[in-house]
Amino acid sequence: MKVKQLAQTLNFELLTREDYQDCDVTGGYCGDLLSWVMGNASAGNVWITMMSNVNIVAVASLTEVACILLSEDTLPQQEVIDKANEQGIVIFRSSKTSYQLAAEVFQAIGK
Amino acid sequence: MKELSLHILDMIQNSLEADATRVEIRVEERDDVFRFSVKDNGCGMSEEFLKKVRDPFTTTRTTRKIGLGIPLLEAAAVQCNGKLEISSSVGIGTELTASFQNSHIDRAPLGDIAQTMVTVISGHPQVAFLYTYCWGEKTFVFSTEKVRTILQDVPLNTPEVLRWIGEYLKQGMEEEK
Repeated sequence: MKVKQLAQTLNFELLTREDYQDCDVTGGYCGDLLSWVMGNASAGNVWITMMSNVNIVAVASLTEVACILLSEDTLPQQEVIDKANEQGIVIFRSSKTSYQLAAEVFQAIGK
Repeated sequence: MKELSLHILDMIQNSLEADATRVEIRVEERDDVFRFSVKDNGCGMSEEFLKKVRDPFTTTRTTRKIGLGIPLLEAAAVQCNGKLEISSSVGIGTELTASFQNSHIDRAPLGDIAQTMVTVISGHPQVAFLYTYCWGEKTFVFSTEKVRTILQDVPLNTPEVLRWIGEYLKQGMEEEK
């Protein structure tokens, strides 16, 4: 499943630019300890987190996750969104908890 | 990081990459402040580089353009009502101090600092390391140069020596506690 299709199905709010590269979702990863996520998230994952500092953009770029999905209405500062746009990182947001989002993503993509 | 000793390891590695021949590590727990500093005599950073060193999209690495060592340490400190201070001069060296509210619920434990020291000494036996641990009024100091004087020609990365250093550090800090 493509990121765009997943986001539409599950009603995620897009925070970054519309014209993002739409890539395949390979699975998901949950984590707020960035150093740990760096070593354990896989390329193509939907990364669910509630951290919102600019380091998330760097971690997403390093791990090549498909997108960042912010839980519990986390709103990053504009500079984070600007940096994500500059680096081609896609950020979504939802009011649901990481637990709920993980369950929904899992169901939607079947892995 | 899960343990602060991993941040310390990361910062020591920065010092070694800056060609330091002497690295001083200080870990301090006093009142409600947990603080550690890494000071080296490496090549130092220019004012220009120092300004952007907290940005994750700054690195000296040539293989990729992202460096998260300092940004992650700063985020960890700030999250615990602390801060990261960095001072540096080209040709003289760099000193970096991270402080945390000791009792903060998100402060990671120190972790196995003895093993961290053994790791860096084992990889860089020619470098002078000075490790200081302060707890309240008490101080524990370990210097590779003192050990080197006693051992004379025996390299510090001899397995028996490393084992002894690890035990000595562990015991020394336990006695302080």
